[in-house]
Parts: sequence; structure tokens; C-alpha cells
Amino acid sequence: MTFEHIKPHLPWMTLLALTAIVGIADTNFLLPANLISMSADIVPLFIMALGMTFAIYIGGIDLSAQSVANMTTVIATVALPTFGLGAAVICILAGLFLGAVSGFVTTRLLVPSFISTLAIGGVAFSTGQYLSGQRALYMDATLRDNSFGWMVGKSFGIPHELFIGGALVLIAIFIQNRTTFGRALKAVGAGEPAAVASGLNVRRIKILAFAISGALAAIAGLLFSVKLSGGSPTIANGFLLPAIVAVLVGGTPLTGGVGGVVNTLIGTLIVAVIRSSMLYFEVDATRQQMVFGIVLIIAIALTIDRSKLRIVK
Amino acid sequence: MYELHKVDKKFPGVHALKQVDFSIGRGEIVGLIGENGAGKSTLMKVIYGAYQPDGGSITIDGKTVRFQNPRQAMDHGIGMVFQEQSLITNLTVMENIFLGFEKQFVKFGVVNWTAMADAARKQLAKVKLDIDPATVTAKLSFAQRQLVELAKVLTLEERIDGDLVILLDEPTSVLAKEEVELLFSLVRELTNRASFIFVSHRMDEVLELSDRIYVMKDGEVVDIVSRDNADIDAIQHKMVGRDVDKEYYREQRQKPYRDNESLLKFDGVSLGQRFQDISFDLHAGEVFCLVGTEGSGREAILRTIFGLETPTAGSVTIKGKPIARFDAQSSVALGVGYVPRERKVEGIVGGMNVFENMTLSQMRNYSSYGVLRIAEEKQLARDWIGQLSIKTPSEFKDCGGLSGGNQQKVVLAKWRSGGSDIMMLDHPTRGLDIGAKEDVYDMVREMSDAGVGIILVADTLEEAIGLSHTILVLKDGRAQQRFECAPGAKPTLYDLVHYMI
Repeated sequence: MTFEHIKPHLPWMTLLALTAIVGIADTNFLLPANLISMSADIVPLFIMALGMTFAIYIGGIDLSAQSVANMTTVIATVALPTFGLGAAVICILAGLFLGAVSGFVTTRLLVPSFISTLAIGGVAFSTGQYLSGQRALYMDATLRDNSFGWMVGKSFGIPHELFIGGALVLIAIFIQNRTTFGRALKAVGAGEPAAVASGLNVRRIKILAFAISGALAAIAGLLFSVKLSGGSPTIANGFLLPAIVAVLVGGTPLTGGVGGVVNTLIGTLIVAVIRSSMLYFEVDATRQQMVFGIVLIIAIALTIDRSKLRIVK
Repeated sequence: MYELHKVDKKFPGVHALKQVDFSIGRGEIVGLIGENGAGKSTLMKVIYGAYQPDGGSITIDGKTVRFQNPRQAMDHGIGMVFQEQSLITNLTVMENIFLGFEKQFVKFGVVNWTAMADAARKQLAKVKLDIDPATVTAKLSFAQRQLVELAKVLTLEERIDGDLVILLDEPTSVLAKEEVELLFSLVRELTNRASFIFVSHRMDEVLELSDRIYVMKDGEVVDIVSRDNADIDAIQHKMVGRDVDKEYYREQRQKPYRDNESLLKFDGVSLGQRFQDISFDLHAGEVFCLVGTEGSGREAILRTIFGLETPTAGSVTIKGKPIARFDAQSSVALGVGYVPRERKVEGIVGGMNVFENMTLSQMRNYSSYGVLRIAEEKQLARDWIGQLSIKTPSEFKDCGGLSGGNQQKVVLAKWRSGGSDIMMLDHPTRGLDIGAKEDVYDMVREMSDAGVGIILVADTLEEAIGLSHTILVLKDGRAQQRFECAPGAKPTLYDLVHYMI
């Protein structure tokens, strides 16, 4: 039994171990009501991480996710009075478009994704600032409940966010495991030269992966703004690092090709437990990012496939 | 003085060195020849410490040594002059020469450049290179860089006690004829300073320079000849060891191709400086071989057919259809299959299993509305695993874990099962052991019988001659000569080499 054998099982083992530790320290933690509300709180982050999974699965990264989410909180709030439910469509299209632009810049202009998405993130952030006039905006409560009330209600004691997250994860699993696109993503992530030499349209696949990432970041932003009943160009700040952590802790390495959607689900739960435990152990909110930064480094160091990286700069 | 005893080296699926004995005396020049894959480079890597042998021992003056890395080998006087030059081109000549050994010129953290330049000049004098040591390496010609590289290795002379052994790996491949002469006379003079191991695939050069020659084949030393009684034909025989054996390349199974059925037509096609004015016709059942040295344009032609390059002139016609847009997707759709040289990089996707790899180029055939029909994929994989006797526990096995020969079969199955009938085989037998090679030869004949047109870039000339119906010899991107290779009337090695170099 070597480390390589254990590695694929590390994520769920970590999740179980952490849950057990926190559960022993604080018996209230394991109460169903607490677990459910913890999961519901993490759904926007999970959706963003789900999108990020597509970018990382092909060996790229999407640093624009947080800014796109920021932007969509503003778009959703601004568009709600005029378009009602249509605001959601606008948000998703905006995310899809910005993601596609990142993909285009990456594949056509050959700008590495960490920089192209960073740049597009800048564009998204500015757009949010411009549309909001750099202020926090609030949704009208009746308008919000008429159009998006279904997103945040409760049925059978289960918050609707969980249904949304569940539906998205099922769709993502289906795409990943059962469709030609999912197979192509895997091929691009695990061996791009072979994918090219098999006649796959690698460019299109990559652009699509970034577009999906953008769209899911937009959905995350939308849900977030509905939950908080408002939008601001900085409201989702602090999401990016945990989202990347969720993907990597889940076992999808930065080099891509392995892991996937289910891993991100586990990874997000790990992030959720870490977050709750920080509350319990009274770690100051300002230090949370510090913890995630450290966790991120550990996760990358453990998961990265060094045979694919000859030089790290 | 430097000896290897029964050195053994195994890699997964390949027995690269089998009980190799090797020795070199003081001031001796020893030649090492063999086909690609014969084990020359593995042997060299063992000698200069990049690989550790699995069995056997290495002795210097009777004392057993063990090198963990090239640096330790250098400390024992073993130096390597690399084929793909190891100089860092944006550093100066002297910085390169003393790279990693600058300490001798450093005082209080500051480099004494004058002292280094003087020392470098002394080294350059050994190789008779009269250049300013402060020149940036990128400005030197290839031949000059080679000499700098040699000078760098010769610094060992001052650094260590004992004898030097210097390996020259294909040192002449980028040199012009006069430069080769100069290098040779220099090496002969330097034998008072060091012994040399000279590796080349150019038989005449090895014969000219070496005192003794080791002939390698399939990981073994099959003969050791001294220069005086060396006979090119005899060595050639030993290197190949089977040119009388027509069975090997399945020559008896070579049938005439259908010359009325053209699959692919090149008409005066050029691609910038890579190749110019190439015309040929590939017919159903034909094995068409492109022969030439590295950089002669063989690979560029393959890449053009596969749609990875767009020609700058001429027309390409596939099955009567002139090609206007060059991309891999359209080529694949037209039935072009590509078995790349870098099997592990471009051939299979490591981390994906056998059936996923087999359908990668033809997912359209195994899906409806973008949803895969996985049961059919698995069935296909099981069929081809049986048909090509691919050694894998199941269709779920990660292709990265298969042996080279079986990976190659997966790649072939991928294209054949998708109905590709224009197959490009780029070094299809590279790095495979004999049995696996023979399997590939069988498959080539089977594809031929089924009416597939094959464009081959072979691993060796013998392979090219043995397998093909037609050979086109290329040199510097231009077609030199065409040979018909009917069984029993095949051209010889020398016929081809004459046009290649």
C-alpha cells in the first residue's frame, strides 16, 4: 500500500476525519439541522467550484470566477425590476460569454488561462463597478420573491438551494461521464497532444469548458444575490480561494485529467467543515483566508502530477 | 582501464541491455554502432551515470564504482558531449565551460572574470578554437558549439586525477564534411589526454575514427571488431542480423497494390522551407515509405496530410476530393489515421482506459445526440483486444500501464476500427521489442490486404525497404529518388543512402 494507492481515497477520508473531529469537539455539529443549514450555506460556493472544476479538469484554471459572480450580483439586482425572471437568463449569458472570451484568448491568442481569466476577471469586476455605481444595491423584496423566491424557500424542511445544487451536480456528472464532450474534456486534461492527434477539436472543447465555468460562476452569483437580496461589485470577494481549494482538496489536480465533479462535491464539503470548525474554534473571520491559503498549498502539493510538469515557475 | 562487466538494464517491457561487457583502454577510441533501439543510448547513459544498471558492475582500473548521477561519473573522469547540445545559449562561452564550477574564480562572492576568461582560453586552446571566451554562445556556429562542449568536458583534466573517458554522441550529425574532418583530427590528437567513446549511425565515420568497434543489436554486444579487420558488410550483417531473413518483414506477404485506386495525391506541394514541390500518389493497399534523415521533411509531410500544417503551394487530394481547409478533424473524417512517433504523448491518453482510447477519434460513431453508448464502446474494445491479441487484463485497464507494443496496438485499433484507410505510421516500431515489432509488421500487411494505403516513416532503412511497395527518398525537403520495391527486387541500403546524404 503506497501513497499513490491511497491518494484517490484521500478526499473522502479527509472529509470523514474532519467531520468526526469537529463532531467530537462540538456534538451539536452533527445534528441534521446544522448539517443541512451548513450545506445550504455553501451552495453558491459549490456552484462556483463546480464551474471551476471544468477549467481545472482540462489543466487550466479560472481566476475570473469570483469577479464574474460579483458582476452577476449587480446585473441580477439591476435587471430584476425590468426583466423579472429574465434577469437570470441575462446573468447566465453574461457568464457564458465572458468564459468563452477567456477560452478564446487562451486557445487562439495562446495566453495561459491563469492570465487570460485574471484579465477577463478584471473586465467583469469593472463592469460590476460601472453598473452599480460602486454602491451596494438592494432588491425590492416583492419583486425578488415573485421572480426568485423559489430559489431560497424550504420544502420538507430542506432549503431549495440544496435542490439547485443537487440538480446542477447531477447534470455535471452526466456531462462528465456520459457525453462525448465529457470524454473529450478528460482526453484534453489527461493527454492533450493525443487528443489533437485523434482529430478532436481541442480548441472548441477548451472554449466550452471555460464558458461553462463562467456560466456556473454567474449562477453562483445569481443565487448569492437572491440569498442576500442585493448586489455589489465586491459582495462575493473571498469566494475564489475556497472555490479553488474545494476543487483541489477534492482531488482534481491542477494538471487536470483526473478527479472531476464528484471530487469537487467532496472538496466543497471539506471546505464547509473547515469553515464551521473555524467558527467553533473561534478563528477570527479575517484569518479564514489564511487557513484556506495554507490548505490550498497542501492540497496542490499532494495532488499535482509532477510527471506532467517539468519546470515550475 | 574503464570496464563494464555483464551490465544489465531493464525497463518496463524492454530488456534494454543484456549482460553487456565493455572496456576501453587509455588513449583508445572505441566506436559504438547499432540500429535505433539496439541499446546504444542506454549503454551510454549507464556509462556516464544517468542510469544505474540493474545488474553487473563497473570498474575503473579494477576498482568497482557506482555512479548515482552524472556528476559523480564526472568526478571519476567520465564526460559526455551531448548530441542535442547542452550549452545554455544566452550565457557566454566561459560561463558555459565552467557552469557549476565557478567557485574557483570566486572571491568574496564576486567572480573574477579575467581569471575565468584566461582559464577558458586555455581550455579552448585544447580544442583549437580561437574565439573570445566572453562571446555569447548563441552567436557561435553549431560546429563551434560542439567544440566548446568538448572543451567543457576537457576541464575534467585539471579537476580530477586519473584518466578521462569522453563520450561523443552522434557528434557529426549537424556538421559539414570539412568540419567532421577537423573534429576527427582533433579527437585523434586528444587521445593523449583522454579516451573516447564514439557513437554514430554513420558506419564510415565510425570505421574511420575508431580503434575498436562494438556492434550492438537488441541490447547485446554482438561483435567487437578492430579497425584493421573491419568489414562493412559483415558489420552491417551483425547490426541487422536478419537481412537474409525475408520472413522478418513479411516480404512473402507483400502483394501488389491496386494502382487504379488512388487514395491520396500530392501535386507539387510545398510547405515553406520544410519541403518543396513534393508529388506522389498513394494507392489502396500500397505501403509508401518516406526515407530521409531527420529534418528532411518526412514528418512535415505527415503533419500536412493529417491537417496539422497548411501547405504554401500545390494541391492535396484525398479520395478525389481537393483539400481546401487543413485541420485534423476534417482529415480524420476523410479516413486519415495517424500513428505518431511519440506513442505515449500523442498516441494514447495515459489515464484513460482501453475502450476510451479506442473510440477517442470516433466518438461520433458511439454516441447519439452527444450521449455515449458505452456498452457498444466496451464491446468494440473487447473485439479488438481479441483480434490483435492485446495483452491487457480488461478493457478497463489504464492505457498508460500497458507495454509499448500493446499501446501501439490500441492506437492501431483506434484507427482501424474507425474505418481509417489512409494510415500514417511514424516510426511505428520505435522502442518495441522484437516480438512486438513483428506484430506490427503483420498488421501492416493485413491493412495492406484490406486495401488501406499506408504512409510509413520507418525506424530503420531495413524496415523501410522490407515493408514498402514504394520508397521516396527525401533530402533537405526535396524528393531525390523514387524506388519500386517489389519483393525480390528491393533496392539495397546503399542505393538509398546514396540519395539521402
